[in-house]
Amino acid sequence: MSAIRDLAAAVADGTRPARSVAAETARALERTGGLNATLDWSAELLEAQAGAVDESATKGSLAGVPVALKDNIVTTDQPVTCGSRLLEGYRSPYNATVVERLRAAGALTAIKTNLDEFAMGSSTEHSAFGRVLHPTDPDRVPGGSSGGSAALVAAGVVPAALGSETGGSVRQPASFCGVVGIKPSYGRVSRFGLVAFGSSLDCISALGATVEDAARVLHVISGADPRDATTLAAGPVELLPPRQDLRGVTIGLPRECFPPDLDPGVRAGCDRAIAALRELGAEVREVSLTHTGYGVATYYVIAPAEASANLARYDGVRYGQRRLDGAVDVRGLYRATRGAGFGAEVKRRIVIGTYVLSSGYYDAYYAKAQRVRGLIAEDYRRLFQDDGVDYLFTPTTPTVAFRAGERTADPVAMYLADIFTVGACLAGLPAVSLPIGRSNGLPVGGQLVGPVMREAELLAVAGALEAIVPGADEVR
Amino acid sequence: MTWETVIGLEVHIQLLTASKMFCGCKTTFGDPPNTNVCPVCLGLPGALPVPNEAAVRHGVRAALALGCTIHPISVFARKNYFYPDLPKGYQISQFDRPLATGGTVWFDSPDRGRTAVSITRLHLEEDAGKSLHDRLPGKTAIDLNRSGIPLAEIVGGPDLRSPGEARAYLGALRDILLYTGVSDCSMEEGSLRVDANLSLRRPDGPLGTKTEVKNMNSFANVERALTVERERQAAILEGGGRVEHQTLLFQAASGEVRPMRSKEESHDYRYFPEPDLPPLILEPDFIEAERDILPELPEAKRTRFEGELGLPPYDAGVLTGTPDIADYFEAVVAAGAAPKAAANWVMGEVLAARTGREELPVAADRLAALIALVDEGVVSLQAAKQVFAELIHDHSAPRVVAERLGLVQVADVEALTEWVEEVLAAHPGEVQRYRNGEQKLLGFFVGQVMKRSRGKADPKGVQPVLRKRLTAS
Amino acid sequence: MSVKREEVLRAAQLAEIAVPPEDVDQLVADMARIVDYVSQLGSVPDAAVDRFVPGPPKTPLRRDAVDPIPLARPPEATAPEYVDGFFVVPKLGAMGGE
Repeated sequence: MSAIRDLAAAVADGTRPARSVAAETARALERTGGLNATLDWSAELLEAQAGAVDESATKGSLAGVPVALKDNIVTTDQPVTCGSRLLEGYRSPYNATVVERLRAAGALTAIKTNLDEFAMGSSTEHSAFGRVLHPTDPDRVPGGSSGGSAALVAAGVVPAALGSETGGSVRQPASFCGVVGIKPSYGRVSRFGLVAFGSSLDCISALGATVEDAARVLHVISGADPRDATTLAAGPVELLPPRQDLRGVTIGLPRECFPPDLDPGVRAGCDRAIAALRELGAEVREVSLTHTGYGVATYYVIAPAEASANLARYDGVRYGQRRLDGAVDVRGLYRATRGAGFGAEVKRRIVIGTYVLSSGYYDAYYAKAQRVRGLIAEDYRRLFQDDGVDYLFTPTTPTVAFRAGERTADPVAMYLADIFTVGACLAGLPAVSLPIGRSNGLPVGGQLVGPVMREAELLAVAGALEAIVPGADEVR
Repeated sequence: MTWETVIGLEVHIQLLTASKMFCGCKTTFGDPPNTNVCPVCLGLPGALPVPNEAAVRHGVRAALALGCTIHPISVFARKNYFYPDLPKGYQISQFDRPLATGGTVWFDSPDRGRTAVSITRLHLEEDAGKSLHDRLPGKTAIDLNRSGIPLAEIVGGPDLRSPGEARAYLGALRDILLYTGVSDCSMEEGSLRVDANLSLRRPDGPLGTKTEVKNMNSFANVERALTVERERQAAILEGGGRVEHQTLLFQAASGEVRPMRSKEESHDYRYFPEPDLPPLILEPDFIEAERDILPELPEAKRTRFEGELGLPPYDAGVLTGTPDIADYFEAVVAAGAAPKAAANWVMGEVLAARTGREELPVAADRLAALIALVDEGVVSLQAAKQVFAELIHDHSAPRVVAERLGLVQVADVEALTEWVEEVLAAHPGEVQRYRNGEQKLLGFFVGQVMKRSRGKADPKGVQPVLRKRLTAS
Repeated sequence: MSVKREEVLRAAQLAEIAVPPEDVDQLVADMARIVDYVSQLGSVPDAAVDRFVPGPPKTPLRRDAVDPIPLARPPEATAPEYVDGFFVVPKLGAMGGE
């Protein structure tokens, strides 16, 4: 089930010129401009990229396929803003590794999508350039931080897009928008050219209309990169066909992810998916991820701490929107530039991050969180290696897409949207969210989490589930 | 009131590599500003560091030469602070898990003889760029060519007891590091930088508050700066005051130390392990390979020169100053010269003729041949020095040059006897006095023979001929 | 409150972020909320665990060769102020000088 496979094949054998795909995509972008899902796109660039594909003798596996890029992935031919005033107009002098790989495969990448500023957020309401609308309900959020990428895929404008995860920022919007989101193992995809937020957590991830679409993109972008010292020594993620059944597969259901007050629509969707897993022959049993409850707290110490250092480079010295506002010295330059350029959520996270690293607090917060992270990783390891569990299934998010403005008053309320997704980020494990139904018209997402480096097998299982669970059906 | 001075030095050396610590940019000095830069050392959004193998090897080698324990697992860390020539807003360094700890450097203290300084640690880090404050009025100009250059930081314990010791220690440290080839170690060129910590205490008392002194550009200025700072602190303490912990900058022009103006100097560097770099894990082979290529170090070489070659300590010290001088000296000895003679020539004529760090002026085997000529009495020592000067440009054999210059001594007994007869004939009075017992007139006669022969007579051969003629009737 | 006003302001200072006086109260309240929430970590027993970081166990080393990542445009192209080949900023002032 792959629009990408069909499209690339058609472009490769000449039945569908890439140029026509470019033109159609441009029209779709025009039509859906109201979603505010993009920060920059250009018909000319798409046309030029498509022309190069049409002219080349050999066609790659993504020939003529439009793959939108979250605007925290750098390219040389379009501005990269990270959804921030501070980088408005910034043009990178180099391309991210994932961009080079996509282009080598023939993809059309000249679309930069809207995001929470510097990828910090769960609703895309924290973009300096306006929020992204949910593709089916404009009063709701598409999720975040990769909300623009998820919305574009859900709206059918592009078959796939890249996003990035730090705490769940691809799976969560995928769940809210009713598309597939795949977070690979940490280190499986190069971060070279991804604007850093939480370096030990950041994963470039793929969104697609189907598991196979997202997997095809992941296959192209994954694999070791000498420019990123944190990449695993492995090749690209293999493409495996979806499993026909799940006999011999053990799926664990962590009880901490199915609390009594789980949204009824989400629960109904999960119940149906769990029944499907059983129907496919999997052994499904309840397990425990003991430290689930500490995941958000752990995440919200480690990620801001790393972010506070990663965002120190935005000082107005070498690039970015410099502000002086009467400053007479360098410190004044820093404070005016960063004060004007960063939004409130980014500032909060930088200040928290600075606080938890500061002398007197480092041990109680940062060092402690790193150890709790170890406990969380150990929870997964024990299940996968000692207890015979092959994969875990949980809801992706505790609710369906919430209303814009509903959670912006209380930062912690927003953070809790990540409760089921942070675990895989903290443990560095691959995870995939796929649509498992609708609740009052709003998508419900379920996720599978697997052992490290087992993306291919995980996706083969997800493909089996996808085949028998109609994601668009009402479940309540 | 007596105060004991306590000094500890932190030394940064630039490691000699082709590319930078975390990226493939060139490390050459003196290129136009901001031309040896890339996304990584510019701190651009999305860039990532990858460590330079040669820099790690150099760090290991230096640490081994300093007698340190190498930690097979060490961790890079971010040191966070804002400064315009620090592009990422943090420096990648090492903090609680450095590459090496626990070494020793022996040096000749002007006050206490042979003394040891403990080396607390050696770690790897990247350099920042350069800020120029006087180029544009009211502004700061930034050049990031230097950003990312590999450095090793060597922290010595608070074991030095005087500014003079600090200077001597730096000399010994530099000698050892030059032997390893990991750095040029030149303060003048900026490949070696020193930050000093100084405090005073009562002998056997607790450590006093230390101050940090920076901005010294030569070993001599380190001594000067610390002398001034010691006096400043002593004056405060004598007056019953308290020394404030602060950073002071040495002003070369005036010889003073001036406190840095910023009020809140207390940096909170918020060190944490660098998430973009997994741990640095070194296999035993990697470490042993560096140990294997370590040359014989100055300390061991000195001991050998004193012991096996019988040289006095002063000579051994000078000759082991740099590896190339030491190697040259040994080559001269290997080519047949006696160690002391070779030592004298190398410390004298050779070092005087040599300007800067280029090649030694005369090949070792030719110097040895020249020394042999002196030994054999073919030329006098004075004449040999003239020959040496010629040998720098003239590549003929030393004997050929000596003959061409007419400096070959005459040792032939007949020719000597002729001159002796002439001299004795010219000074009958002195001859009589000699025969009457004034034996010390022999020196006068030797001098006369040398004059008459215009320096060509071999003085060693003249003496026996003179004695024979003088004791004859 | 779990965080002191001075601590929040000090963290903002260290991070070189100016907080307008009218925003300080909200920032302090937000910080308190977040710190209170994450402080629950203090009650997690974690006796025998090391810190955990995903990814490869050791860092790869790069061969020492001059092989810079090329820049599609020079530093000047993105610099807010650039004179005679140098990035330009105001004088150091309070940051102290050499």
